[in-house]
Amino acid sequence: MKDLAVIETILRNRFHFFVEIRDGIGLKEKMRAMLISSLIFLAIYGAVMGSSASLWQALSSAAKLPLLFVATLVICSPTLYFFNVLYGSNQSLTQNVALMLTAITVTSVLLLSFAPIVVFFLLTTSGYQFFKLLNVAFFAVCGVVGVAFLSQGMRVVSSAGEEGARARRWVMWLWVLVYAFVGSQMAWTLRPFIGAPSMKFELFRQLGGNFYANIFASLGEVLGFFVVK
Amino acid sequence: MSEPTPGRKASTTEQILDLLLDALAERQRARGSGPHAPAPAAAGEGKGTPTMTPAQAGEGRAPAPLPAPAREREVTRRPATLAEAATREPAPLPVIPPRPGEKGWQPPARLPSIQMHKFLARLVIAIALLVVAINIPIQRHGVSLARILPDSASLIIRDGLVLKGSGENIYMLQDEQLRWISSMDVFEHLGLTWGDVRVVGDTFLEQFEMGRPIYRIVKCKASPHIYALEEGKKRWIRDIETFTAEGYVWEDVQLVDCRYLRNLPDGVPIPEDAGPPPQP
Repeated sequence: MKDLAVIETILRNRFHFFVEIRDGIGLKEKMRAMLISSLIFLAIYGAVMGSSASLWQALSSAAKLPLLFVATLVICSPTLYFFNVLYGSNQSLTQNVALMLTAITVTSVLLLSFAPIVVFFLLTTSGYQFFKLLNVAFFAVCGVVGVAFLSQGMRVVSSAGEEGARARRWVMWLWVLVYAFVGSQMAWTLRPFIGAPSMKFELFRQLGGNFYANIFASLGEVLGFFVVK
Repeated sequence: MSEPTPGRKASTTEQILDLLLDALAERQRARGSGPHAPAPAAAGEGKGTPTMTPAQAGEGRAPAPLPAPAREREVTRRPATLAEAATREPAPLPVIPPRPGEKGWQPPARLPSIQMHKFLARLVIAIALLVVAINIPIQRHGVSLARILPDSASLIIRDGLVLKGSGENIYMLQDEQLRWISSMDVFEHLGLTWGDVRVVGDTFLEQFEMGRPIYRIVKCKASPHIYALEEGKKRWIRDIETFTAEGYVWEDVQLVDCRYLRNLPDGVPIPEDAGPPPQP
């Protein structure tokens, strides 16, 4: 319960939160609270997604969705840190990770807020492709807002007025692209999260294809151009 | 600063900029000599006459001729501009507040708590309970609320998909053809359960061609006889002609234990007038 209080601070007093990260105040406590909150929210959202296929899928997605975010964070954080240092940032790796966790926390809390809508569509529609696209859209919206928070945080924490600030902003936006690519590939590797209704439960599906081709195929089926096989 | 480049005719914009810069310089000079000092630029102003800039006047040069429309604008605009520039107090420049992270930036005042964590905790519990609720089986077949809707719209069309329409027959989709699963023996032998069967509308089934039925054809090593298993009974297939005429193929034949085969009760042979079936 205490850890959930960090959400209000991030959403309502974000600049104070960023200033505290900049000044290194209570970094460990903040990171722990953000990590716990994110894991809970993502696990719940994962369970909602997986419920469309089976109970096993729900449990599997509840475990895999937090794993997806944490693994992507671990893979991408050194890149942002070292490139920031290269362009004159004086942030520590911990501060960088704290900022990225802020973005993940915002994304996860927004996903949680979408969960009732996902449940509603889960109970009232039976289109697998539609359900998949709906979730992708929710992830995209929440991800964009999370990244916007990261951008604001970077401005505050890395002192935008100082030398190299412009370069660091470029680095951050390029890193966001890399993060999105790594995240989507990680999601593809850890799939299924929803579970196709006509297929048996499997913890991980065989590799092949890619995330983007699959989304286009789903879009094509939803719009009635072809049937995904 | 205000001199045009030799050999190049100054554009109207450049001339206007020059005039503005000169006016600024004039104003600075006026400030330096006292708050009420007259502006020298105003002295040369005359209605309808192009005025020399102070710099031009100092050098004894005539102002560069302006194109007609520009000249008209200049004549109507300039006296007011220069006079105001000389007498009016400078307008305060708009103050741009520093952006987050810039020097002098202060975060906005902290907002009071609205106890959001309590609401979040309740939301988390509510959604978790909802997830549990929609996953509890509510039908005798073990289907939960989350999966109770007919799912023909959400099927991934693939080989091995098991479908059932409004009739009794169950089909397996292979190579975009519906293959009738001829008996429960076959069904079980294929490792299927009722959970694998997708109940769909007949119109959904009609989009596929009917393929060869799936039989369970068995023989044992010690015997040359071949049997079709149906409803827990073995049906002897009299000869190869009958075998092929029934639509069976050799790939369907599976080897089983002879004792298992002997223990199965005999069904009607194929064809029915084939006589008493031999034992394997």
